[in-house]
Amino acid sequence: MKNIMRPTRRSILRAGAASAAVLAMPAYLRAQSQSVKIGILQPVTGALAQDGEFGRMGAEMAIKEINDSGGLKGLGGAKLEMVFGDARSNPEAGTQEVEKMQADGVAAIVGGFASPICLAATQAAARYDLPYIVDVGVSDPIVQRGLKNTFRFAPGFGIVTGFALDNLVKLNDGAGKPAKTVVLVHEDGLFGSGLAKLMQTELPKRGFEILETIAHPTPARDMSNVALRIRSLNPDLVIPSSYYGEFVLLARTMQQQRIRPKGVYAVLNGAASNYRFVKEFPEAANGIMDCNHWYDPRNPKALELKKQVEAQGKVFAYNVPLNYSCVKLLADAINRAGSADRAKIIEALNTSTFKDHIMPYGETKFVNGQNMGAAPVNTQVQGNDIKVIFPDTFADAKPQFPVTG
Amino acid sequence: MTFRDIVPIAVVIALLAFVPAFVTANTVLNFLVFTLIIALAAQGWNILGGFGGQFSFGHAAFFGTGAYAAALLQVRFGMNPWVAFVIGAVAGAAVGWMIGYLSFRSGLRGSYFALVTLAFAEVLRILANAATFTGGAAGVLIKLDVRPDNFQFESRGAFFWIALALVGAVLVLTRWIERSRFGAQLVAVRENEAAAKALGVDTLRVKLGAITASGAVTAAAGGLYAQYFLYVDANIAYGTWISVEAILAPIVGGLGTVFGPLVGAVALHGLGEITKLAAGSVPGIDLMVFGGLLVAAVAFAPQGILGLLRRPGQSKGAARHA
Repeated sequence: MKNIMRPTRRSILRAGAASAAVLAMPAYLRAQSQSVKIGILQPVTGALAQDGEFGRMGAEMAIKEINDSGGLKGLGGAKLEMVFGDARSNPEAGTQEVEKMQADGVAAIVGGFASPICLAATQAAARYDLPYIVDVGVSDPIVQRGLKNTFRFAPGFGIVTGFALDNLVKLNDGAGKPAKTVVLVHEDGLFGSGLAKLMQTELPKRGFEILETIAHPTPARDMSNVALRIRSLNPDLVIPSSYYGEFVLLARTMQQQRIRPKGVYAVLNGAASNYRFVKEFPEAANGIMDCNHWYDPRNPKALELKKQVEAQGKVFAYNVPLNYSCVKLLADAINRAGSADRAKIIEALNTSTFKDHIMPYGETKFVNGQNMGAAPVNTQVQGNDIKVIFPDTFADAKPQFPVTG
Repeated sequence: MTFRDIVPIAVVIALLAFVPAFVTANTVLNFLVFTLIIALAAQGWNILGGFGGQFSFGHAAFFGTGAYAAALLQVRFGMNPWVAFVIGAVAGAAVGWMIGYLSFRSGLRGSYFALVTLAFAEVLRILANAATFTGGAAGVLIKLDVRPDNFQFESRGAFFWIALALVGAVLVLTRWIERSRFGAQLVAVRENEAAAKALGVDTLRVKLGAITASGAVTAAAGGLYAQYFLYVDANIAYGTWISVEAILAPIVGGLGTVFGPLVGAVALHGLGEITKLAAGSVPGIDLMVFGGLLVAAVAFAPQGILGLLRRPGQSKGAARHA
């Protein structure tokens, strides 16, 4: 028995030859059908795991679709090969994954989601002139550092807030100016407090009176005090900027305590335009407006994708169409570059006029890495669905304001 | 401290210094730089927690001070990053002294001291998150300008050597503490503070010395972090993650030992990274290994990994002198 277990010289040789053959196999297969590797970076563990999964799903769907329809046309039908990296919801892990993708020889990277991850990851990629398409990361310095490799397809903070303020005035004017007083509720992180500061200077200029600004940490487990304060102030409008959990909590607490302002107008909110929230708490969600990334509800391709995602029992969050579009944008650039050469891809992105996306954007045009065609939309929860109310060109419903009931 | 005390440190550092010569993959170097930064922060914690027995849960206060000082001094005042880095370490020492003075003078020990340090770190996090000077929640972005005199390097290897040199310097410092009269007094405070006091040890002075050195070392780690990733915000700099990392590495490696924090940091992060490479695309698998190793270390190696290596029958003190 012992003799059988003990490795002989011959068995070692045999095992060695077998493993060499196994190792050599992928290289052989690769030589058969050339593929282009692209890195997909998303936080799929840690605090941002939910968003990261949405982003990954969108990217995967685009890659599958491109490969199923004959691969990259500009490269003789070469397939896209995904190299996935988990950014673990922190910038260090994001940087480490970029290094791995570089070692794996990717042609470009898509994703990042959170601003701190995007800031670190784009910088790491810049060392190798590795093209990087940011999916969400709204912090404007991401595209203001002069990094030649960095492109952001979606609108940044400046574009979104400008749009949100203009449409708030439009909404209020259209309804005969019922709203005069506002309470701001915001999470105390990067986007919440940045937004609150901006609102504090901009809203009074537009004729609104801010009664109070209430900050809360993330995570927060109880919103009763915030809700009670809102009740005692009795504002016409509540403008919340929070992540998913906290906003759901606030909306539910307000519903339980029958606090009904004339409108809840969220900006870049984690829940206000999320189907999960609408499905799980339809009454609390009803009437809530948001200004956020969203798909184009008039685009048949977007609706088809939504159907596919929902058929799997998953939520069609904005990250899905956004990452889907970002991968398509990259594929278009690779096709036009006619090569997986990084410098050529960057050049192709700089001259991109990509239109085949499913976002409510115009033609893609990058100026210093920011897509100037990008814009957010205003959504409102109406009849257990999320409808686009602004801009008119993409709207599929009329705004309900002031919200009654 | 004799020449023989330094030899093991010199050998380890010299061996590690050759890594960039053999490993050109930036993936590995990037991972090692991050691990060394964690090791440095943990070495800082080990001086106070491992040798002095004062368990701090808020070393983020020092890490963050070092990181913010390094970033803000160059971004806001145009200071040379090398100078800013040194001032950051000094600022960390000052914060350490201040927290120590306030809490040790009031006789805070054990869990009370741990809670107070945690509170200080949280207060600093909230302040940094709110103040305009620190960039608020948007944090501070250091401009990418790759020049050696700007503390930014083309190759990851250069940064690796700097981090390694700092870790090596702190290894020597820790060895000196271990061998010195100050170190003996510190261990006496850890083992029995009342007895140490009765024997004439000025416990307040000893503990203040330890927390000041500890603050400086952990702040240096923060400064390195800022200079390497070129971005800090309140949650990165003063977040609880770094306080936890700084505690875990020495616990796993060996509390109150010279090499403990380095061994612990390399073991925890190295094993996680290797699992990630081996397991491929299963997200979170490295975190599971991280957790598993932690449970195993606490359950089977209460003296840490270095404790396991000790020969049976050898006393704790002898092991440290080995």
